[in-house]
Order: sequence, then C-alpha cells, then structure tokens
Amino acid sequence: MKILAIDTSCDETATAVTEGTKILSNIIWSQASLHANFGGVMPSLAQRMHRERINFVIRKALITSHQSLVTDIDAVAVTVGPGLAIALGVGIEKAKEIAKKYKKKIIPVNHVEAHLLSSFASPITNHQLPLTFPAFGLVVSGGNTQLIYIEKIGKYKVLAQTVDDALGEALDKGARLLGLGYPGGAILEKFAHSATSGQARYNLPIPLADDKIKNRFSYSGLKTAMYRLIEKEKPLTKEKICNLAASFQDVAFNHIINVLKYQIETNPYPLVPSALLLGGGVANNNLLRSKLRKLLKPYGITLHVPYSKKLCGDNAAMIGVSAYLKTQRGNLMNTDQIDRSPNLKI
Amino acid sequence: MQTVKENPNAITKAVEILKAGGLVIFPTETVYGIGADATNPKAIEKLNKYKKRPLGKPYSIAVSNLKMAEEFVTLNQTAKNIYQKFLPGPVTVVSKGKNKVARGVESETGTLGVRIPDYKLVREIIDKLKKPITATSANASYQKRPYKISDVLDNISEKQKSLIDLIIDAGKLPHNEPSTVIDTTVDDPVILRQGEIKFKGKSQVLSKGEENTQSVAKELLQKYESYLGKRSLVFALEGKMGVGKTQFTKGLAKSLGIKEEIVSPTFNLVLEYGRLTHLDAWRLQAPNELETLGFLQMIENKNMVIAIEWADRVSQVIKRCREHAVVIWVKIEFGKGRNERLISWKTI
Repeated sequence: MKILAIDTSCDETATAVTEGTKILSNIIWSQASLHANFGGVMPSLAQRMHRERINFVIRKALITSHQSLVTDIDAVAVTVGPGLAIALGVGIEKAKEIAKKYKKKIIPVNHVEAHLLSSFASPITNHQLPLTFPAFGLVVSGGNTQLIYIEKIGKYKVLAQTVDDALGEALDKGARLLGLGYPGGAILEKFAHSATSGQARYNLPIPLADDKIKNRFSYSGLKTAMYRLIEKEKPLTKEKICNLAASFQDVAFNHIINVLKYQIETNPYPLVPSALLLGGGVANNNLLRSKLRKLLKPYGITLHVPYSKKLCGDNAAMIGVSAYLKTQRGNLMNTDQIDRSPNLKI
Repeated sequence: MQTVKENPNAITKAVEILKAGGLVIFPTETVYGIGADATNPKAIEKLNKYKKRPLGKPYSIAVSNLKMAEEFVTLNQTAKNIYQKFLPGPVTVVSKGKNKVARGVESETGTLGVRIPDYKLVREIIDKLKKPITATSANASYQKRPYKISDVLDNISEKQKSLIDLIIDAGKLPHNEPSTVIDTTVDDPVILRQGEIKFKGKSQVLSKGEENTQSVAKELLQKYESYLGKRSLVFALEGKMGVGKTQFTKGLAKSLGIKEEIVSPTFNLVLEYGRLTHLDAWRLQAPNELETLGFLQMIENKNMVIAIEWADRVSQVIKRCREHAVVIWVKIEFGKGRNERLISWKTI
C-alpha cells in the first residue's frame, strides 16, 4: 500500500511517500531549503503558514519516490493533531482536496502516535521490527514529553507526561539562558560534549526527585535553578558554558531516567515490556540514548530508535508508516469526518 | 571544470575564479562546500542553477573573521558572545543582515547566517578575495552530505557539473556533522524594547512559591471576572525565563475549573482549554504574528480568558485590543529568596 503523507502540525511543512513501513521519500521544507544541510533554524510564522510551500513539497515527495499521484498512490495520510490549529488546517485541507480529486482514501493520523511508532519505519521492503508487545514508548520533542505503555499498536496508556515544559523545549531554553540563541538543543549537546569530564560539573537539582509516585515530568524548576546558577557564575567563559551545558543536559535526562526506572519497577501490568520505542527530536541526542541503554539493559529491555536522524524530528514519513499500521488494524474514517484536532491525545 | 589538490596555488586559482563570478568546491571542517562571491548577483544566479533551489531560500556566508562579519550583519550581544567563544568552528550564526550581499542570499526577513570555517585554506581564500563566499554544502538540494568529491559528482547531472569551475580536492573529510545553525535575532533588543510598559502606581505582591503564584492569579481573575460576558480578559504576562508565567496560567485555569494540565505553549504557540486560551510569544519574530495566530478573533469572544506569555514581545498588538478586552499586564520578577517572586499588575 503506497501512501502520500502530509504533516503540517507546527513549524515544518513535511511530505513523504511510504509503502508499508518502507520510506520512498521524506521531504521536510526547512531541511530542503533554508541553510540547506546546515541544520534547522527557526522559521518565522509567516513562513510557518505552510500554504505557499505545500504544493512544492508534495511534488517533491512524489518525484523523489518515482510515484504518480494518479496511478500509484493508494491513500493520503494527514496529521490531524496535536499541533497548531492554523497550521494543521493547511495539511488537512490539501489532503482532502487530493483525496477528492484523485478519489483516494484519506487516513487521519495522530502526530504523537506517529513519533511513537517511528522506529517501525525502514529503508527496505517488508522489514519486521524484532519486537513483541507490550512495549514502552518514550516521545521526547519540542512539544511533547510522554512515557507511554503500548499494549499493542492502537492501544496506549500514558504513564507520565510533562506538567510544564517539554524536554526539547527545556533544552532549547537552557541553551538560551547560556546566551546561545535558538534553537539550542543541538548546540547544547555540541558544547556539552566538549565539557571537562568529571571536574567542575555543577550541581543542579534533579526535578521532582521527591515525588513518591513518579508519573510526571517537570522542567520549570530546573530552568529557574539554571538561571540562578548562571547569574552566580557570570562572567561566563567558554569552559564554564560547556560545563553548564553538560550539567543541565545531564540533569534533564536523569529526570527522564528516574521516572522511567520507577515505571519499569512498578509496572502493574501482567506482561512486562521487553522493548522501548524512542521517538521525537530529542531522540537524536546521543547522551540520552546511552543513558537509556544503560538503564534498560539489566531489565532485558531493548531500545529501538528510528533508523535515521531525519525520522526523529517532525517529518511525514512517520505519518505514512503510522497510517499504514493503522490500516492494518482496519479503522479508516469517512473523509467528511476528518477535521483538525489541536489538543488530540494519544 | 578543473580539479586541483589542496596547495597554495589552489588558493590563487580559487580567488581568480570567484572574482570572475565562478563556482568553487572546497573542503571545510564539516563537509565539502560550494562557494560563490556572495556579493555578486551573477555568481549567486549561477549557484541557484547548480543547487536547483526553490526561489527565496537564503544561503549562509563564510567570512574570515569577526570584523568582516560586522560588515555584513549587525551583531547583538548574544551573537558577539558566540563569535568570541566558538568561532572559527562548525556554528552558523544568524543575525540581522545589512543588505550588502547579492539578492537571494539574505532571507526574506532580512536575516543572514554567517560562519567562520575552522579550515585555514577557506579563510585564506576569503582573505585574498576580500569578500564573503557562500557557505552551502556542495551537494544539490536533497542529496547526501558530501564528505568526498565523488559524493558530489555521482549525484549531479552533466549540466550541473558544467557549472562548477574549480574543485579543490582534499580527499576524504572526517565525518563531522554539518554546522549547527543558531538564530540570535530572537534576542534582538530592538524587538524586545518596542513599546515597553511603564509601571507607575502599580500594585505589587510577594509570592513565596509556585502555589502562591497560582493563588495570586486566582485572586486577580476574581477581581476582574465581572467584566467577562461584556469584554474578554487578557492577562499579558511579562518576566524572565523560569520566573513562573506558566505557573500563573495554571492558577487561572484552576480558577476557571479547567481540569486539564496546563503546559507551556512555547512550541505549539497556542493551546486551548475551553474558556482559557494560552499563547506564547517567545518564538514569534514580529508582533503582528500574534494577529496571524488569530488573536483578534479570540478576544472578540467576550467570555474568553486569554493568557499571553512573553507579552512584552508583542505589546503593540496587545495594546490595540483594549477596545474589546480588559488587559491586565502582569510583571513577574525574581525575588531575593530562592522561591520568591515579585508580582505586579495594572490594567492598561
């Protein structure tokens, strides 16, 4: 089944063509153009309006995948939420237009579910992810931080989520406090990497360390502690910035690790998950990956991450794959009922 | 197309070609880049043909030092900070451009990405040319990152090849990640200071912690609640990062009986919870973007409570809505004690 997928949930205008779980093309506007291949940069809201670029990226996805909309595509998948309403609307409108014009089925997709299942995406045909459910899922991005229990595809329970900032947002803001501009998550990782190991690490409090039941994430307190620490350490040298970046990142991730550890050990479900699916932009961070592997190993839980970095940040290939997995369960909706749903939950 | 090895002659050759408006592929500390004289419209036109880029997509430029950067962009404190500490290196710093490069190099909003490559050969070429060159990777758009010359040549058409005038081949480059792009214009004091709200004869309370901040919000809402139905209520929240703007909004939500968890809207820009709409202007680049988000329609609903974080960034637009809404400007500042906050407010 070949799917044309569209995601306009927030900043990126993304399209893709997928066949089953295989990715035939994966086009993201910000990578395709602005400062091409030098990483992403914050788009202005005017650009965020998606409208002017959606046709271009759809064409690009089809050309790159060597598919024709008229003859080769079986369905159109589109993100309906969560996200920014005005942005979501553009993708949905376009998907409906295409579906009507070319008489294709339309599949609505939850953006967070797509991040959750992005490890299923593959560069080869008929690839089976070596995984049996139940599994844990961890979605960490600029807009979401959720730990999820996956009984099976389509059946989820949220074990913990943020009560204030998302992890990706917290990393961006930590970088900003260090005077590093925006977006800062990637640059924070870069500078943390050159920190002097062992010594001169700063003490920042691990968020919610006193929570007896660990079922939430919070980054507001860490942000404030970082602000006060930086005020105290001023003027900042390059060495201090690197060490502060490393300390902030470390504590931000340790918070995730603590909550996950608690949830693994108190798992109330009859079946113990043997895998954790990691998704979202922060899944690109190597320190987070290694901390997760280290935690999961003794429990015999395997970490699955998307096969390419491009699949971690917002993209449409994951939307196509998620839509395909959804059709496998057989719940398709009537095109008329599809509407944007900015607050959609998983 | 001519290929030369990395040597002093290559520099002379490259400068000649760049001066004549040609394209040169050169090694950097990240990937192979393709350079054109960033001030020469003809050269940029040729580069556009090579890169097959959609119109209106900007290029970063490479300069040899901070002084040269300042000829082309205005550096604010954040930018200067990054230049001093991290350049030369694999970081591209976006600043406000001075419109001194060829058309199509700066972004549509007038910003320009600048980098100082940590690669002596490139800096020497720029020094000799006395002009910045474009710092875009040598692959055509959507193709793989070029770490060796064949990565470039194997993935382009004959027509594209014919556009390249010189290749400086330094063999296989170490697999370093592309440079990280960082936007410093977000911090621009020019934007931030527009329409600063003066606090004269203000009311102020001391909050001793998160819960306290939430109760202040509740009390303020109760104080102005009687306007609802006649006019919408806008809580314009101003204060530094981590000061408790989201905490304040949590208080408003509790008071309105909203059960959902109120989280930071920084990424989504708008989050809606029934009668409460929660906005965040931190990522907005210009005040009128608040209107693009539908702010003026939101305030027309007279039963709505709207909380805007980083309101100081969009104060002109908020001031304009006074006819439809009661605007309560709330300023939160860090206090002396660890959890203390000073909260002041006034209607504007």
